[in-house]
Amino acid sequence: MRAARFTLAAALAAVAAAGCTPVAPYQRGYLARPDMALEQDPGTTQALDKTFAAKEAANGGARVGGGGCGCN
Amino acid sequence: MQAALALPILTVAAKAGAAQVGEVGISLLGYRERGLMKVTEPVLWGHALLADVWEVEASVGTDIVTGASPELVTNVSGKPVQSVTAASISERRNLGDIRVTRHLGDFALSGSYAQSNEHDYHSKAYGLEARWDLDQKRTTLIAGYGRSDDHVGSSVDPTLDAPRDTHEFLLGLTQVLTPLSIVQSTVAVSRGRGWYNDPYKYTLTYYPGEILPVLMPDTRPDHRDSLAWLTRYRRHFPDARGTLQAEYRYFRDDWGVRAHTLEIGWAQELSERWSIRPALRYYTQGAADFYSPVVPRPQPAVLSSDQRLGAFGGLSPSLRVTLRLDDGLVVEGTAGYVHDAASLRLAGGGSEAFSTLRAVYGIVSISRPF
Repeated sequence: MRAARFTLAAALAAVAAAGCTPVAPYQRGYLARPDMALEQDPGTTQALDKTFAAKEAANGGARVGGGGCGCN
Repeated sequence: MQAALALPILTVAAKAGAAQVGEVGISLLGYRERGLMKVTEPVLWGHALLADVWEVEASVGTDIVTGASPELVTNVSGKPVQSVTAASISERRNLGDIRVTRHLGDFALSGSYAQSNEHDYHSKAYGLEARWDLDQKRTTLIAGYGRSDDHVGSSVDPTLDAPRDTHEFLLGLTQVLTPLSIVQSTVAVSRGRGWYNDPYKYTLTYYPGEILPVLMPDTRPDHRDSLAWLTRYRRHFPDARGTLQAEYRYFRDDWGVRAHTLEIGWAQELSERWSIRPALRYYTQGAADFYSPVVPRPQPAVLSSDQRLGAFGGLSPSLRVTLRLDDGLVVEGTAGYVHDAASLRLAGGGSEAFSTLRAVYGIVSISRPF
């Protein structure tokens, strides 16, 4: 299982590296679009994260230092 | 173009597509479960760049929770089912956080503090995060450390004041793949020690041929170590004027929970002002080792019938509509549906006692740059 996970991680890294093409700073106009953002505004992000985290066993992954809650 | 040249790829507020100093916003969440709880949560947030090198982000909010809460799992009717509190509960949670970042060329260092208070739960959390831009900001490395200091109380036991300490570590990488695509992968490891029991949950089990049942309070291990691996991908399609947004998270912990979360969204620009984003989120998890809807014999040292630790899956479609006005004002509305059920677990094997959850939510958000 550990070997399978390592292989998966290595494969993802290889795919990412292989998929990279040189991108000059002046070519980054599309990357600055709001829909290319990795997160929505803090209010929406916080609301959705907490909504699902309160009903599921899994949580986290995006950041640290967020604290907990006694969600029912 | 100036904004693109200066694009900090990793910045959370990646809406910084214009030459702005900051942004303020307010959002309002409404969440309603069928037969259970209602949650209303207003959040006020903002961020600002000061003297070109300091960045401050902050938010404050309140959760208002009303309705019935799952309290007991009992097999009095023959098979274990979840029952809820007879009286409607009502509680309020206040939360706030602040994060200050110092930019030093290609390097950025952030410190954060978050606090959350309810009458029976208090949490303080601290975080440190470093980001390092490489290769003309095509690659960004992230490293973070967080610590939370929580205290659990109870309305039914005013003497309860149990601590829980959690240390978190995060490593990540953001990579510009092409002028149209970007990927980020982060791994967060958490190590927690302390009180994890839910003081409001019980398991009541009747045995054949016996009159008196056994009542066992929710009793969990006093530690929890977990790993969450999150990968996010964005790919813009100029001809279609749309962007594919994909996220996958793998989660595991030493309670035996294994979970997968996949969300696929498509942000479609309809005009310069209007855009929509339909999305579908799928979640599946296996049960914790100590999850059981009945108290077995011999009675174990740890046991929880909380169905959030059971085996189930969930589907959640959503639709977001965004309106961008000329003065920079952005109005956004999101509507979503949550359906969690044992039958939705990947590859079957969902917990039979899982009570299907159906909920709807809506989020309205208004933000403005300055």
